[in-house]
Parts: sequence; structure tokens; C-alpha cells
Amino acid sequence: MRERVRVLVDGDCRAPLRVYNDYISFFGEVDPAAGTLRSVGEQIAGVALAFRGGRGSTVGSYVIYALKYYGREPSCMLVEEPEPIIITGCIMADIPLFQVRKGFLEEVGSKRAVLVHEKGRDYIELHFE
Amino acid sequence: MYLTREQERMLNGEFGWVVAKAMSIIVKTGEALGATKLVEVAHAHVSGVSYSNILDPGLEFIRSLFLGGGRARVYTTVNPGCVDYSGLSELIDGSYARKQAVIDDSLIKMGFKPVFTCIPYYHRPPAQGEFLAWGESSAVAVANSVFGASTNREGGPLALASALTGFTYYAGLHDPGNRVARVLVYVKDPRVRGNPGALGLWLGCRVREIPLVRGAGQGLADLKIMLAASAASGSHALVVLEGVTPRGFYSTDLVDKVEVEWGDVEEYIGTEPGGGSILGYLGCPHLYPWEFLEIYRQVVKRGVLPRDRRLLITIPVEVYERHYIEVLRLRRLGVDVAAGTCPVVSRLTRVFDHLVTNSGKAVFYLSKQLKAKYYLTNTLGVIRAVYGEGAG
Repeated sequence: MRERVRVLVDGDCRAPLRVYNDYISFFGEVDPAAGTLRSVGEQIAGVALAFRGGRGSTVGSYVIYALKYYGREPSCMLVEEPEPIIITGCIMADIPLFQVRKGFLEEVGSKRAVLVHEKGRDYIELHFE
Repeated sequence: MYLTREQERMLNGEFGWVVAKAMSIIVKTGEALGATKLVEVAHAHVSGVSYSNILDPGLEFIRSLFLGGGRARVYTTVNPGCVDYSGLSELIDGSYARKQAVIDDSLIKMGFKPVFTCIPYYHRPPAQGEFLAWGESSAVAVANSVFGASTNREGGPLALASALTGFTYYAGLHDPGNRVARVLVYVKDPRVRGNPGALGLWLGCRVREIPLVRGAGQGLADLKIMLAASAASGSHALVVLEGVTPRGFYSTDLVDKVEVEWGDVEEYIGTEPGGGSILGYLGCPHLYPWEFLEIYRQVVKRGVLPRDRRLLITIPVEVYERHYIEVLRLRRLGVDVAAGTCPVVSRLTRVFDHLVTNSGKAVFYLSKQLKAKYYLTNTLGVIRAVYGEGAG
């Protein structure tokens, strides 16, 4: 499946897709040294993390930067609603960031897929298992 | 994005790599948000300066900006750090003091005003319509909603970048076209109004659009509690407050209306403590001097705290300097007063069975960290709870 996205921070990405259909406050809800999303207790290191958008603390940018510093960062991120805290964090950490259309997260849901994006393209590819 | 000649020179490295990096963060973020130009800011407020939150990666980033020659180009204040700057708090863990000192040294030498508070509007109340670049989500919400100034919820490094360049991108809430309230939230029940922390959590969790709130309290003490909670649990940067938000700095296009009942906010209140150790907490966001003195009066007339009960109060450094006599007296009664920090950006030295606070923001962050049962009430309720009078 090919899906058009708005590229906010460009870069290559090939990683398993992990959809979290909620907003994330990186500060508080993410442990940067372990690379886990505390609310669900799951790894976000090395995945294509799709979520609705950011919330909470403005320290979030530093947490995204810290994920990269500890080598526990997602391979790329997809959001429905981009906002400065996440964009800045991704720019600093050089993590590709894409904006997806509303409804995309629900459509994909819990299906297992690998996401592929090549730098310079305005779309992502999803290879379902 | 259109850049002036000076801005282009900054981006191209003619003012050094630090200014170029700061400019690039602002321009790239701005472009991602659809900005077509930059604007000058009157005041930058830098969040993300506490070592216990940003750890070594953040420390090294800030230090490198200072060593690279970064200097403030605009009036800049800084958020709380992770140590108590009075040096006497028993509850705030001081073991990161050396690391925090490295961060503070960099911030101060870059020319930032070391206020170490989350209420920068206490030091410099913003003017209506003024462009700001503020981190600290609660302060952002107050600047937009109470003062009628304009700032986006800048991430910590983005506000820092604005401090070092004097600019921010023109998008989001700087554009009047985005300052439109779409949902009318009607607060009728005085019990809801009387628990601004719970109301704020409800607002953050349940309302995504910019709300127009009718019937909330009008005092700044309650409003900053409500706005801090809604900014933490949601991402509200502007909550239009009827009778408070200056006219002309927002518009309305109401498509929905909700009335908040007591039953709606009840789920955010938690459990009233029965037995066990209790930590009462006031000062998230930090207290103005007049708020601190009111709490002081309430505590002094009650005397020494019962065993296994502690009350923690957090205030700006300047309020500590002005009122250290009162702080010392409170300490003799078993009350812990910490300056320039708070438990959200630091660590506590001991654990408690219950956290009782008036702050929805503190509940949002601390209930995850402390694993304590929490109870959210109003200011007097916190004092009553730690003195065993029933939180009421």
C-alpha cells in the first residue's frame, strides 16, 4: 500500500510499523534510556512510530533528542497533528517525521506491516505481512 | 520561507555556528508548520533546563551552545532546575547539584536571567499582542489566555534557539486566524469551579479544539492551576476565558457546546487519604508572593504538622529571597519550602503513600513517577488534609 504523506523531516526509513492511537507526552510517558513507551510498556526503538500527536511538556524535544543519544530512537515517526515540540525534537535528533491524513491510524490499526520511505519521496509504502 | 538579509546571514553562519544552528532549528520547524516568515520576539522563556529531565544529552547540548559562543539576543528567563536553590529542602534530592550547576553556569553566562521559575510572567508580565517564544506549557497557556500575548508551545530547544537569535517563526498562535475558539465549555457547578486542577485535566483530556470557557474562576491563582493541568494532559496553548482573555486577541466560531458536570471531573480527583504517610504539595505552577503568604498564614495558625505528614511548597527564587523569614518559620513547623525547583523537574528523597495537591499538572506527572495514590483538591483542602482535618 502506498500512502501520500507530508514530509516534515526527511530521511530514509525501513522499520516495522507500530500504531499508538493516542497523543504522547514524550516527557513522562517515554523512558529515553530504555526506549520504551511507559503507558503501554512497549519498545519504540527501531520502529516506525505512528501516533496522533504530541501533548504535555515542552521538555519533550529533549527526550526525543535523548532517545537518539542513547541509541533507542524510533526509525521514523508519523503524526496526524504536527506540533513544534515533536518537530524540533526530530530535527535535533535527525529522525524522519511525516504527517499522515486523519483516519490513517484507524485504518491501519493493529495490522502488522513494514514501513518504507526513501528520502526525497512524498509517500510511504506499507508492506503488510 | 522569506528571510531578511540579516536572518539569512545568521542562517549561513556569519554569526557563528551556534546562531546558525539555532536559526536552522527555527526555520525548519517553522517551515514544517507552514510559516512564511520570522518575527522578532520580546521575551524568550527557556524550559528543559532541569538535569533530572534532560540528563546528559540535554546538558551537553546546552553546554555546547555556550562554549560555541551563544549569547542571548533578547530578554530571556529560565525554568526551574532540579535542585533547591535555598539549599535547605529535605524533600528535594540534591544529588544532581553538580550536573545542574553546569547547566546553570551555561545559561547564566549566555545572558539568561536565572529566575528558575515556571511563572516568567511574574518577572515580566507580557503585553497584549506581543510575540513571545516560551517553553513551559503552563506559562504558554497563561501568556496567551490571560495576558493576550502570543506564543506557541515551543519545545525547550526551540525557545533556546529564539533566545540566541531573537526570532521565532510566524505560524500557529502568532497568526490571529488560528486563535479561534470552537467549543463552548460551560462551568455551572461551583464544585467544578472550586477544583481548577480537576477541571483543567478534564479540559486537556476531553477537548482538543480551542475552548471558550464560561464560568471558570477569574483569579490568577486558580487560572494558572487550570491552564497548567489542561496544557499537561492535553496540549492547550490557548484557552479563551470569558471575562479574562483580552478582546481582540481571539475570535469565536463555536460549533459545539458542552457543560461540565461534577460527574465529569470526579474521575480526575483520585482518593481521599485514609491512613499512611501523606505528602501535601502546593506550588505547581510556582506561587506568587501573595499566594505564598496566604498559605503561610493558614499553616502558622495550625502549628506543627502531625507525624508522617509533610507539606512541600515550591516558589520562585525571588519569592524565597523576599520571604526567607517566613520560609524559616514554616520549616520549624515541618513544612518544606523549595526555591527555584519543583517535584516535576526533580526527584524526591523519600516516598509517601499519598500525594495530596491542588495541581492537576503535578498529578499528571507525579502519579506516574511516585506510584503514590493521589488526591486532587483545592489549596485549603491540601492544608486541611495534611493537618488531618479531612480534605473537605
